[in-house]
Amino acid sequence: MAYSDKVIEHYENPHNVGTLDKEDPNVGTGLVGAPACGDVMRLQLKISDDGMIQDAKFKTFGCGSAIASSSLVTEWVKGKSIEDAVTITNKEIAKELSLPPVKIHCSVLAEDAIKAAIKDFQDKRAKRQATAAAAVQPSPTTQP
Amino acid sequence: MTHFEVFGLAPALDVDVKALEQRHRELSLEFHPDRFAQADARTRLSALEKTTTLNDAFKVLRDPVKRAFYVLKLKGVDLDSEASAAQAKMPMTFLEEVMERREQLEALKAKRDVTKARVMADEIEKEKSSALVLAKTALGRDDVTEATHQLGRVRYYSRFIEEVEALEEEASS
Repeated sequence: MAYSDKVIEHYENPHNVGTLDKEDPNVGTGLVGAPACGDVMRLQLKISDDGMIQDAKFKTFGCGSAIASSSLVTEWVKGKSIEDAVTITNKEIAKELSLPPVKIHCSVLAEDAIKAAIKDFQDKRAKRQATAAAAVQPSPTTQP
Repeated sequence: MTHFEVFGLAPALDVDVKALEQRHRELSLEFHPDRFAQADARTRLSALEKTTTLNDAFKVLRDPVKRAFYVLKLKGVDLDSEASAAQAKMPMTFLEEVMERREQLEALKAKRDVTKARVMADEIEKEKSSALVLAKTALGRDDVTEATHQLGRVRYYSRFIEEVEALEEEASS
């Protein structure tokens, strides 16, 4: 199967490969997989307290299209707000990389990874806020 | 027509492969295009189509892994489908395990440590076999969710083993 030039470009020179500290409260980690091919993709976003994506790193074990899709989205999300980043669709990714129909699941994976990473960040933040709130004002129901 | 119907079989996880091969030979002869060389175009085309259908069915049914994926598909979950809805969500702990192992393999690849990679592949081969057994048990009791998870594991493990095989080939060439 012929890969598009853009896929080859990202595959040979992937952008932002690596890891961020997943314990960092400002880092959201998205881990997704596609049973259709056995690919696994991890996308990590460093998000400021006001919801801006400052950095993005990925690690993908899969075909060229999966690697290219994740490399592309790390470029796309940097500098975006999380509200904007969640609107990125697999169709846009597939179009940019000219993915053939059999490789559409790779772009789906990348879209899911963005959403999962943002959700992880939001869950962490909500948990932190809940803990902080509980510390300031103990809820009567949890107090003995 | 399902692959099982092609062979006049009821859908089943276990198939007598010897009998299947025998039946495949018989049907291949019956539909063989050479037998219809003098027939009209429509008959020739029909014989050709039957041969293709027969061979497709044979490829799936003689392979226990492909057969299990196919039985799952008959139950409504097509793990090969491109549709995102069909992409079963694997448990997070499993994806973490896959990621970790792929990273270990990547490190071994960098060091060209084929021996250790083979040790990992053998270990995973065992887990793949047990996942296939669990998948078959789950399919037997119509537990599609569990069967999907287990066959998902089979798929990820197959991929891992292929990676090791590719590494071995590269190292030996």
